[in-house]
Amino acid sequence: MDKTKRKYETTFIVNASLDDTQVDSVIGRVQDTITKNGGTIAAINKWGRKRLSYPINKKTNGFYVNIEFDAPGTVLALLERSFQLDEMILRYLTIVLDRKALKARAAAAVPPAPKEEPAPVPAREPLFAEPKDEKKS
Amino acid sequence: MITPRKPRRDKENQIPRKKRTCRFCDAKDIYIDYKDEKRLQRFVTEQGKIIPKRITGTCAKHQRQLVQAIKRARHLALLPFVSDSIR
Repeated sequence: MDKTKRKYETTFIVNASLDDTQVDSVIGRVQDTITKNGGTIAAINKWGRKRLSYPINKKTNGFYVNIEFDAPGTVLALLERSFQLDEMILRYLTIVLDRKALKARAAAAVPPAPKEEPAPVPAREPLFAEPKDEKKS
Repeated sequence: MITPRKPRRDKENQIPRKKRTCRFCDAKDIYIDYKDEKRLQRFVTEQGKIIPKRITGTCAKHQRQLVQAIKRARHLALLPFVSDSIR
C-alpha cells in the first residue's frame, strides 16, 4: 500500500463554552487520531476564542484551532469521522498544502531581507542655472 | 497630407483611466490564504458577496485562488455568507 505522506492542514472550531482544559482535551484527542494512524504533527496554532461570522448550532463564539501535520491519506477519513462524531467540534476544514502554499509558507517563515532603502534621489541640478547676480560694478 | 489634428482629438476624447493592476501580482503573492480574513474582506462587499474581478482588477489566476480562499473562510465562519446588517 502506498504510504506516501502529504502535508495537510486542518482547522476546526471547538465549542467555546468549554473550559480551557476541556478544549485542550478535545485538541489532544485530535492529535491522538493523527499520531496513532501514522501521522506526525508539525504545528498546532490555537487562535483562541473568536466571534463567528454567523451562528453555528446556535453558538456565536468558537475556539479556533489549526493543526499542520504530515500523514498518509488514510488518516483523513478517520480524522474527519472523529470530527463528525465529536459534538464539541462545530466545524472543521482540512486542506492539502499544495506546493504553492508550502512555498508561500517558507517565504513567510524567513522574513525577506529588509529592503534596502532606495538610493536617495540625486539632487537634480537645476535646469536653469540661477542667474547670478552679476552686478556690474 | 497628414493632418496632425485627428489623432490628437481621439486622445482627447478618451476617458482617462487609471490602469488597474492585480494586487496579488503586485505583491508577488503565490498563495492566498483563507486564514487571512482581513485581507479577504477587501474583496467582499458589505453584504458578503465576492466582488467581481472586473471591479477589483484582480487577474484571473488570482481571482480563482481568491474565490477558493473566501469560500473556505466562509465555511469556517471567518467571513459571512450573508452579512448581519442585511438580515
